[in-house]
Amino acid sequence: MAAGSEVYVLGGFQTDFARNWTKESKHFSALMRESVLGALETCEVAPEEIESAHVGNFAAELYCMQGHLGAFFTEVHPAFSGLPTGRHEAACASGSIAILAASAEIEAGRYDLQAVVGIEQMKTVSAAEGGAFLGTAAWYEEEAEGIEFPFPKLFGRLGDEYDKRYGLKDEYLAEISRLNYDNAKLNPNAQTRTWYMNKEHALCRTEDNPAVGGRIRIADCSQVTDGAVCVFLASRDYAEKYAKGMGKKLAEIPVIKGWGHNTARLRFDDKVAESSDDRYVLPHVRSTVTSAMKRAGIPDVSGIDGIETHDCFTTSEYMAIDHFGITEPGESWKAVDAGWLEIDGKIPVNPSGGLIGAGHPVGATGVRQLLDAHKQVTGTAGDYQVEGAKTFQTLNIGGSGTTSVSFVVSR
Amino acid sequence: MSSTDSLTPTRIRELVRSRSLDHVVVLGANGTMGYGSGALFTQAVPKVTFLARTKAKADEGLAEAIGQVRSPTVASRVETGDYDHDLERAVGEADLVFEALTEDFAIKKDMFDRVEKARRDDAIVATVTSGLSINALCDGRSDSFRKNFLGLHFFNPPNVITGTELIAGDDTDPAVLDYVDAFSRSRLGREMVRTADTPAFAGNRVGFKVLNEAAQLAEELGPVLVDRLVGPYTGRALTPLATIDLVGWDIHRAIVDNVYEKTSDEAHATNELPAYMAKLIEKGVLGNKTGAGFFKRDGKARLVLDPVSGDYKPEAEIQVPALGYIDDVAQLHRQGRYGEALHVFLSAEGEHAAIARKVIAGYISYAFHRVGEVTDTINGIDRIMGMGFNWAPPSVLVDAMGKQAAVEMIEGAGLPVPANLAEAARTGAPEHLFEHPTINPGRFFVAG
Repeated sequence: MAAGSEVYVLGGFQTDFARNWTKESKHFSALMRESVLGALETCEVAPEEIESAHVGNFAAELYCMQGHLGAFFTEVHPAFSGLPTGRHEAACASGSIAILAASAEIEAGRYDLQAVVGIEQMKTVSAAEGGAFLGTAAWYEEEAEGIEFPFPKLFGRLGDEYDKRYGLKDEYLAEISRLNYDNAKLNPNAQTRTWYMNKEHALCRTEDNPAVGGRIRIADCSQVTDGAVCVFLASRDYAEKYAKGMGKKLAEIPVIKGWGHNTARLRFDDKVAESSDDRYVLPHVRSTVTSAMKRAGIPDVSGIDGIETHDCFTTSEYMAIDHFGITEPGESWKAVDAGWLEIDGKIPVNPSGGLIGAGHPVGATGVRQLLDAHKQVTGTAGDYQVEGAKTFQTLNIGGSGTTSVSFVVSR
Repeated sequence: MSSTDSLTPTRIRELVRSRSLDHVVVLGANGTMGYGSGALFTQAVPKVTFLARTKAKADEGLAEAIGQVRSPTVASRVETGDYDHDLERAVGEADLVFEALTEDFAIKKDMFDRVEKARRDDAIVATVTSGLSINALCDGRSDSFRKNFLGLHFFNPPNVITGTELIAGDDTDPAVLDYVDAFSRSRLGREMVRTADTPAFAGNRVGFKVLNEAAQLAEELGPVLVDRLVGPYTGRALTPLATIDLVGWDIHRAIVDNVYEKTSDEAHATNELPAYMAKLIEKGVLGNKTGAGFFKRDGKARLVLDPVSGDYKPEAEIQVPALGYIDDVAQLHRQGRYGEALHVFLSAEGEHAAIARKVIAGYISYAFHRVGEVTDTINGIDRIMGMGFNWAPPSVLVDAMGKQAAVEMIEGAGLPVPANLAEAARTGAPEHLFEHPTINPGRFFVAG
């Protein structure tokens, strides 16, 4: 990024991911409203200051029979009527795509203060129906149609591919699950924070933890979640003014230092075939991570204090570990085994609990990751704070490793 | 009853590390609160002993515990036994003895005689009582027993409801209290509220006052209309009379009779059990557990009690006024416009809207009047009503409608305005009465 066109993250608000908005008889618009009003209050930003809004969402047309989501932003506050808004979709990476679009507009000098809302209401339908909706993040006709819960099966195959190339023991996947659930207990917005879960349960391989797709068991899966997250992104000019108004220095406001964004071929088989000679199983994901680091001027993962990654299944976190370069390719188990990923470990991964522990409202996840990165580098993450964190990196993935987006957030 | 908020995250971590809690003995493990709490302890404690009158009963409790949380962890951490063979040994080894016997003073007293002889001097003894006095339960016991004795009141079912009351006796060691508070928060995921040793503590004192007032109103208005008037739109998932059916009429009577007998507050009359309930309880009407209460099922149809005659009529035959304002309020809640929704409620015309406002005004007035008596601040009452009852906490309602509007609603209902609320309305401070960094106030407004 050119000097003077940095994108600052002022902060934001996450709804409690344990809430079931269908049980509350709430419309999608209430979810958006609470997240945006919460962000205005938390950041002490007046609604009149917002110049534009980007909404990240995967499938409200399916889950809620509602499209045209950018327009719903104008319903939140009278001051928003007339604002330029839009909606972005890239399956589970929708939230990050919305952030990219908003950042690009700030870098281009079009606007100084933007709202980005990631949102998904998923508990409107049965598990099986929702599973089929999620199948549209794959090539539906080729990979998902007629298959019950297609995504656990696709990510089970990611584990199988690791097993084939490097060997993979399920106990390391169970340990990843255990860690995410444990961290979630420290996060007051995490969906699973009060669930009955401990190491013994996560490691259990019986009927209490049934298989749902190959080697993927229930405890290996992320959650079906209702949730929304709103963050405010600002230009340097606005951030300077904002910092002054809050009695802070500009250096205290986190910046998006780098970004990465790649899209691989849709079908899992094609991705794996393309990478057959590569050390990385999903080289485009690797490229997303390293290009974000490069843009941030960080040589490798040693320059990162913590990671919020996309653990839609334990296998995706297993993949992320070597793709971030925490270990050599195929050796992710070493980091799991050594305890490096714990909150007080060498390189904490998902202190929030990630998608498994904190929850996965699909279109909100990328924005939630950015907000958690903001909380970490500003020392406001409460019980799941990584001590002294100055730089955090996110990785948000849509489909079976198809669309990948990564941000490096620093202060 | 100092505020639980004084425990910072760092202090909580220090406290949890300050001693070990590796063995809990649950007394009365076959009862609902016994096995529910027992299951909860297995989340964080490596060994939990379930004791009951017979080993078979303790085994039944274990089976229920496993069924409640669906995890193999429970079985691998629990041993079962009976009072005759296992109590002295198990209690002698325990770090925490958790008493969940039936709510009978004499039965608990006899059990504590045995516990007192068998326990280690540093073992904590907790009771899950919801009605008996903590001071009375440990009266006359040794210094070490009284120092280590406290009330730890989980709500049923504890794996779902996180709100928990912590009650000190006059002699409870503050360090023990802080430890149990910190452990329950950080290892058991509890929302801890410290209350005074007053009848029904904080949650049941405020909650059952509202439930009982609804039951009183049902005599004239009928159960269907009352549950509509004090329904989800007023900030609760479950309607009041359905709640009494779920809790059990006998439990309801025990709580309100206890409060009525031992208190004489400004809303005393609302805590008097309606005569028709006393009469029907004698006939075995106890709510869901006996298949009949304010409501009963007849196949797919719901039958509704006529409190005067004691007969049941199909719900479809019961006429209820239109009450269009409730639909308007619900629609605004549905879109997350909670403040506007409450203003429609406040300005709704007609006698029925006025009755509903009187119940909600009574709830707010009663809660704010109890500050200083049952908790130090309104925050404790707010948190137990939110996380123990799943009702909109009084302060959430006041914040959403505005402090002055809340005062006017209470005045309009002919009820006493609490001085603390009047002061907040006059000064405008604090800006938000509901103080919780992470609870979304919107979760309590149900649009159904």
